[in-house]
Amino acid sequence: MDNYSIVGKRIPHRDAMEKVKGSAVFTSDIKLSGMLHGKILRSPVPHAKIRNINISKAEKLKGVKAVFTAKDVPLIKFSISPTWADKLILANKKVRYIGDEIAAVVAVDEEIAEEALELIEVDLEELPAVFDPLEAVQPDAPLVHDGVEKNISKTLSMECGHIEEGFAEADIILEDTFQTQAQSHCSLETHCCIATCSPTDEVNMWVNSQAPHPLRQKLAAALNIDAAKIHITTPVIGGGFGSKIDLEPAQALCVLLAKKTGKPVKIEHSRKEQFIATRMRHPTISKLKFGVKRDGTIVAKQAEVVMDNGAYNSHGPAVLAYHNVMFSTLYRVKNIKYDGRLVYTNKNWGGACRGYGDPQTSFAQEVMLDMIAEELNMDPIDLRLKNANIPNEVTANAVQITSCGLKECLTQARDKSEWTAKKANRQKHRGLGVAAMIYTGGGSIGSGFNYSGATLQMNADGTFQLLMGALDIGQGSNTILTQMAAEIMGVDPVSISLTTADTDTTFPCMGTFGSRVTFCGGSAVTEAAQGLKKQLLESAAELLEANIEDLKMEEKTVFVKGSPDKALSYAEIGAASFYKKKKPLVAHGYYNGPDVPPEFNPVTYEGYPAPALVFGTHLAEVEVDPATGKVEVLNFVAAHDLGRAINPLLVEGQIEGGAAQGIGWALMENLQFENGEVVNPNFHDYKMLTIKDVPKISSLLVETVDPNGPFGAKGIGECAMVPTAPAIVNAIYDAVGVRIKDLPATTEKVFQGLKTQRSDQENST
Amino acid sequence: MGSKHRIQITVNEEEYDLLVHPNRTLLDLLRYDLGLTGTKEGCDEGDCGACTVIVNRKVVTSCIVLAVEVDGATITTIEGMQKGDALHPIQQAFVDSGAVQCGFCTPGMILTTKALLDEFPDPSEDDIKHYLEGNLCRCTGYTKIIDAVNNAVQLLK
Repeated sequence: MDNYSIVGKRIPHRDAMEKVKGSAVFTSDIKLSGMLHGKILRSPVPHAKIRNINISKAEKLKGVKAVFTAKDVPLIKFSISPTWADKLILANKKVRYIGDEIAAVVAVDEEIAEEALELIEVDLEELPAVFDPLEAVQPDAPLVHDGVEKNISKTLSMECGHIEEGFAEADIILEDTFQTQAQSHCSLETHCCIATCSPTDEVNMWVNSQAPHPLRQKLAAALNIDAAKIHITTPVIGGGFGSKIDLEPAQALCVLLAKKTGKPVKIEHSRKEQFIATRMRHPTISKLKFGVKRDGTIVAKQAEVVMDNGAYNSHGPAVLAYHNVMFSTLYRVKNIKYDGRLVYTNKNWGGACRGYGDPQTSFAQEVMLDMIAEELNMDPIDLRLKNANIPNEVTANAVQITSCGLKECLTQARDKSEWTAKKANRQKHRGLGVAAMIYTGGGSIGSGFNYSGATLQMNADGTFQLLMGALDIGQGSNTILTQMAAEIMGVDPVSISLTTADTDTTFPCMGTFGSRVTFCGGSAVTEAAQGLKKQLLESAAELLEANIEDLKMEEKTVFVKGSPDKALSYAEIGAASFYKKKKPLVAHGYYNGPDVPPEFNPVTYEGYPAPALVFGTHLAEVEVDPATGKVEVLNFVAAHDLGRAINPLLVEGQIEGGAAQGIGWALMENLQFENGEVVNPNFHDYKMLTIKDVPKISSLLVETVDPNGPFGAKGIGECAMVPTAPAIVNAIYDAVGVRIKDLPATTEKVFQGLKTQRSDQENST
Repeated sequence: MGSKHRIQITVNEEEYDLLVHPNRTLLDLLRYDLGLTGTKEGCDEGDCGACTVIVNRKVVTSCIVLAVEVDGATITTIEGMQKGDALHPIQQAFVDSGAVQCGFCTPGMILTTKALLDEFPDPSEDDIKHYLEGNLCRCTGYTKIIDAVNNAVQLLK
């Protein structure tokens, strides 16, 4: 057993003190002198040509400083990747969804800016619109983007092994279709940014971005400015869940309006804007076909997927790729076929959302497995154990797995939930459901990038300062990354000063998403700390005239073993480095891995290169009210293979929060559209879980100690909501025999299922 | 916009004599006129609880209360919780229990907890859930927030 003094300890969030005092500064709390306020005019219709925009009345309103339309901004399309660029800062000739940016106003206060929006006259020629992705692929469907045939943004086809031979081997073949709905991220803090811009394009921006370094690159490209001129600072960030990764039109507008007016400009989204015009979870329709042997071996699996992209790409193509990789990599199946289409519609657009396509694919696959278990009269956990991934295997789709604790997750969740005993002594209207998951536990380098950098410096007084490219959006990376540095340097983590995600001073990091910061940021910080420790010992050896091998570090001192009385303090070593040797002790760490293997196929996504994979099992116990169909989650167990828990207190927080988000998606969360319009753009009508709705969530931390992870750690953040919905839906079936195949499993749907069941029973008697 | 109204309020034990527009919300008054930015705006519709403050011992969502309505009131915001150097026990319990992640809901959660514990020093789990139902949190799944309230009860004993 590794004996760490700081890693593995339940240390509270480093930033919690400021947050409980109310003194933590979020972006919207910043007020610069002379600051102006921007507002955006959005399309009221789902699809239209812009005939004319008249801004003259708005410009004349007292207090208005500038009004911008497409002719005032660069017409450079952007996306998360230049390959998929399809979005303009302001719509030029056409609007494609209700919420599309048409014009922007900057004024002395928000009220005047809002009043000015109402004075802008937009002449729109409405076009036929398409909202259903299955209709959008028909030959006569309206085109969301001219020239994009059948509205298909991306297709992805992959076959491993021989799918038809696989099905020929099967004793049983099951086919079914599963649907998932749009989910809004609902970070409590809305998008906000403040920018200044000099006449020669020196930009300063304060923004709640999950990915400030990539944001600098994207802003530079969209505005045709040198990236080096853009300085992005991230204040405290009030959650993201994937919603704050993209370049937002508001951010680019903030810079342009600041340049035009010579004043700082702030643009803050309202909650309604957050619902209608920031990203959401892509809805999916997955048609699955599985072939299994009587003993439970899955011999072939096939998925035909339609993913509703909405009006623009954002992360869509990559989310589709993840949907495939997660479907194909989970379980040891030799013959796999995947065909996916990403389809444009005239609706708000999907993007990165906790799980990145994996909750969607998990819902389909894990409900299908439950159906297979029933068909085989096999325990659903045994079925999963039979097909579970194992450590150090290369899967049929050529993915290299290192550590893997899937079987441990399944068995520990079974024990913790008392599955066997409860299944044997069934209570009426109560049921248990299980689902397993896989995800990348350190981001991936499928895009060519998976970078994160760190710099650790020893000050002249022997204290340390850490500069991290990675940033904390609430998940706790500031705490765990300083824990790792502190473990190596032998100091209290709180004593290490920390600067994060400042594009002028820190090494870059790709951002906080993809459950990557613990692994990638952690790899960078441990490399930096080990490098600095080496320098520290070399310096001490020279000062003590000793060999490095004979030295010992303890209590912020270095001494020759056996001679602690002649110890040098860190302060003495630090001072010597700065003032005598004139060579400050500083070390860098930079991660960008893994190396892309030759097996990686960027078209089919076979051989997908991820530094580590993580596994988990969710197990739900529910009670269904037979009179109403209302589902209550009574108990919830979440077992996760996370390599090593650097901080169990924070890991539990990630799991509990993820499971709650998953329960919400399973039972009630649904961003609903009618003719392209979001009909529930507020917390009153869009139901997320309250404290009354959440069951006790028991976290099980399965520590497999990954060979490549920092201290053996892998990621957790996104994983925690991946298998939640299928576990609950499978539990509903176990409780009352109603099989939900389209999320969310609302009271109404369960009630309808019970009603159908009753009428079927009456008809058969 | 109408003419300004004079109001006198006590916020965090400090007295203010202010002229406010009739449409100024208490939230904007606190955040932008008094610089008390610990009170957060999450929805501006009274649904999320991030802007919770205590007015005359009762919790209110300050985004849907007009400043003119609180004339004469005594108000506590998150900045008024701490007396002296040590955190208020409720604040300390939130830190220690891991109940704070992004922190945006935290000030509202703490103020609602204060109102709860002022009324029920030894609340049942149902009391806790009843009081905190109006405070949304997307990060924690609420488990550690319930732990924090229970830990605060112990610290306050």
